[in-house]
Amino acid sequence: MGVNPRRDSGAAAADPVQRRRMLAWLSSVGLFGSAVLSAFSNFVFIKPRATYGTPQRFSIGKPDDYPAGTRIAMEARRICVVREGDKIAAISTTCTHLGCIVGLSETGFACPCHGSRFDTDGHVTGGPAPRALPWYQVTLAPNGEIEVDKDAEVEPGSYLSV
Amino acid sequence: MQLALAIGSFVILLVHGVVFYNQFFHDWERYQTAYFDQARGLAKTDAERAAVTGRSARIEQVIVTNFGEKRVDRCLTCHTAVDDPRFTQHAHPTKTHPYSEALGDVRRNGQWERRHKFADFGCTVCHDGQGRGLQEHYSHGEDHFWPDPLLGFVTQAGWRADYTPHLKGTVYMEANCAQCHTEENFPGTATVQQGRELFFKSNCYGCHRIEGMSDGTLGPDLSDGGKKFKLDYLWEAIDDPRANLATSVMPKFNLTTEETRALVIFLKSRKGKNLSETEIQRYRLKLTGGAELVQAAIRPVTITPAAMLEQGKDLVRDRACLACHKLGDEDGGIAPDLTYEGLLKEEDWLFAHFRNPRSTVADSIMPAFRFTDDEFRAMSAYLASLRPAPRLASAAETYRALCERCHGEKGDGHGTIAIYLDPYPRDLTKAGFMNSKPVERLAGSIRDGVPGTSMPGWGRLLDDAQINGLLDHIQTEFTRQPRRELKARKVPDANPVAMSAESAARGEAMFVRRCGGCHGRKADGKGPNSLDILPRPRNLRNAPFVHSTNDARMFDAILYGVQGTAMPPWIDYGLSVNDVGDLVNFIRSLNPEQKESQYARTD
Repeated sequence: MGVNPRRDSGAAAADPVQRRRMLAWLSSVGLFGSAVLSAFSNFVFIKPRATYGTPQRFSIGKPDDYPAGTRIAMEARRICVVREGDKIAAISTTCTHLGCIVGLSETGFACPCHGSRFDTDGHVTGGPAPRALPWYQVTLAPNGEIEVDKDAEVEPGSYLSV
Repeated sequence: MQLALAIGSFVILLVHGVVFYNQFFHDWERYQTAYFDQARGLAKTDAERAAVTGRSARIEQVIVTNFGEKRVDRCLTCHTAVDDPRFTQHAHPTKTHPYSEALGDVRRNGQWERRHKFADFGCTVCHDGQGRGLQEHYSHGEDHFWPDPLLGFVTQAGWRADYTPHLKGTVYMEANCAQCHTEENFPGTATVQQGRELFFKSNCYGCHRIEGMSDGTLGPDLSDGGKKFKLDYLWEAIDDPRANLATSVMPKFNLTTEETRALVIFLKSRKGKNLSETEIQRYRLKLTGGAELVQAAIRPVTITPAAMLEQGKDLVRDRACLACHKLGDEDGGIAPDLTYEGLLKEEDWLFAHFRNPRSTVADSIMPAFRFTDDEFRAMSAYLASLRPAPRLASAAETYRALCERCHGEKGDGHGTIAIYLDPYPRDLTKAGFMNSKPVERLAGSIRDGVPGTSMPGWGRLLDDAQINGLLDHIQTEFTRQPRRELKARKVPDANPVAMSAESAARGEAMFVRRCGGCHGRKADGKGPNSLDILPRPRNLRNAPFVHSTNDARMFDAILYGVQGTAMPPWIDYGLSVNDVGDLVNFIRSLNPEQKESQYARTD
């Protein structure tokens, strides 16, 4: 760097080394801060905020549509709606083995692909399935319809009272 | 150097910070959190409380595939409470969507049940707007580049200020109701039906095509006008047709605000394929369209002979004839004056002109409207009965009353309606033309008119003295050059070459070589040079005109040229009388004697 004649006069020239260190420190804070923000954003943006699949939370109609004792498999939604007395629940019908749609059987659920069997609550009773079928959260929406949220899994055996 | 680096790095940090903030702190998150808080406060039962606990803000979207192309509606992301009946009194966006029996909602056991559920229909099917948007400016379509802002709710900033107050109101949403509810008598789309009736009653169908409804060709096709045009544009096109396109031929119809609104809503509802339509229905619709549909829509008037004149008058008044034509004090500013029609035209001529305007005036822009023959007869009878006695004191006044609308204030042929006439009105200031024609010929044009053009014969309004006075007026005011003695020309009285196929073929070969450059190969006056020439080359397929022109005049025009126009004297270019005879035979062979010629006035 060339000789700066002004460096010899003025307040900042009193301690040029300190000023330079200060600036270097500020620059590194700025650059490091933006690097951290970008890195953080990158990790967050890996997961899309919205996908174009079918919504994970949806309404399945009024409780009156499901009389007591109903067990209905909804293929498109991949859930089974169960009503016992005044209690309603939604059980996944996606096999935990390789993702086939399990069918209703007399003893509970049966997978047509590799013969996994589940009892009426979705617990594995046979076949290659590693885990029980998950239960989804069921809530009563303010307009009186039942909503199932496939993003929220709940403990097997938790029912919504209607 | 270090200072610049420090500042630069902070600028980068700032930019990152802004992007980060924009991506992680959204309005919709605030709306949803506020909704959850309020809903928790309003919850009375455990079930209600359970419905909101544990829910966190996220993008709520409905994917609709049943209505045309796939729609992704994220409206419920901000409008979280649309289906929560407890929020009817809250402010937007956390407000309940109104329930209404008109929308088909039913009330059961004290609770409303929607007919059109958001999960099935989404929002934009009815409301328009940008379903994918997550910011109000974009999702509501306030952005100038979005074609469909929320129908009846949002007007864009660039829209004309005098129209925006008219363009709001839920009534506009009927245009979208009609996408599925296509029945004409559907109670929810009464305004669309009103607009549809106006479309026929105001004769819009004569110029505009709408698939399955009308087949006009003069104006733009409106089959998908609702998709192409914004409300503001539609309103302007009806209310002020020349605002967007200064040369528009569209007349200004005198519609009330309500009528304009109904028409705009009807046009907005024309979006090509209806959502409820199947391909086969659409195919069937494409095959039909035209007279029978239009007449079914208009419901033709039954003409009774006794009330014929009165009914004809009503038809002329009600069906927007005066949007183009002038009659008395009403002036549409596009088409000829009908005030003295009974003195100018025969009833037969009018009837033929109504049925096919181009049979009498070859290049008329008047559409062939779909009236019944009885209606045409009644209208012809009414127009033929218009025989007012004009009070014309001086030649100047006569010119102003009868000629000025076409020939212009200065006599230069640029009258107010001149641009709509083909051939263009004669430029009376061109001394070359005016002084090269004998006075008898000019007087004859005024007295008998020029068949096949818009020049009517004024013989029954003006006597010979008045016509001569008018010619003197034109001579002194416009032509301004004294007439000289005309040299006698050697012109055969009748074509010396007998009409035959060979003669016509020789004439055609010569025509293509010599005349086609201006008159066009088809002799329709639209040759490649025609656009550079004023007055334009004559359309020689104009049968009424050709029939009214005798051989002597044709020989005169071809051999000696037409002074004041681009037509040269072909005798100088080596055409003999026999060559011209072939040409005349060719031109005559293009215009076989048809019954139209009977409408050329002979008296």
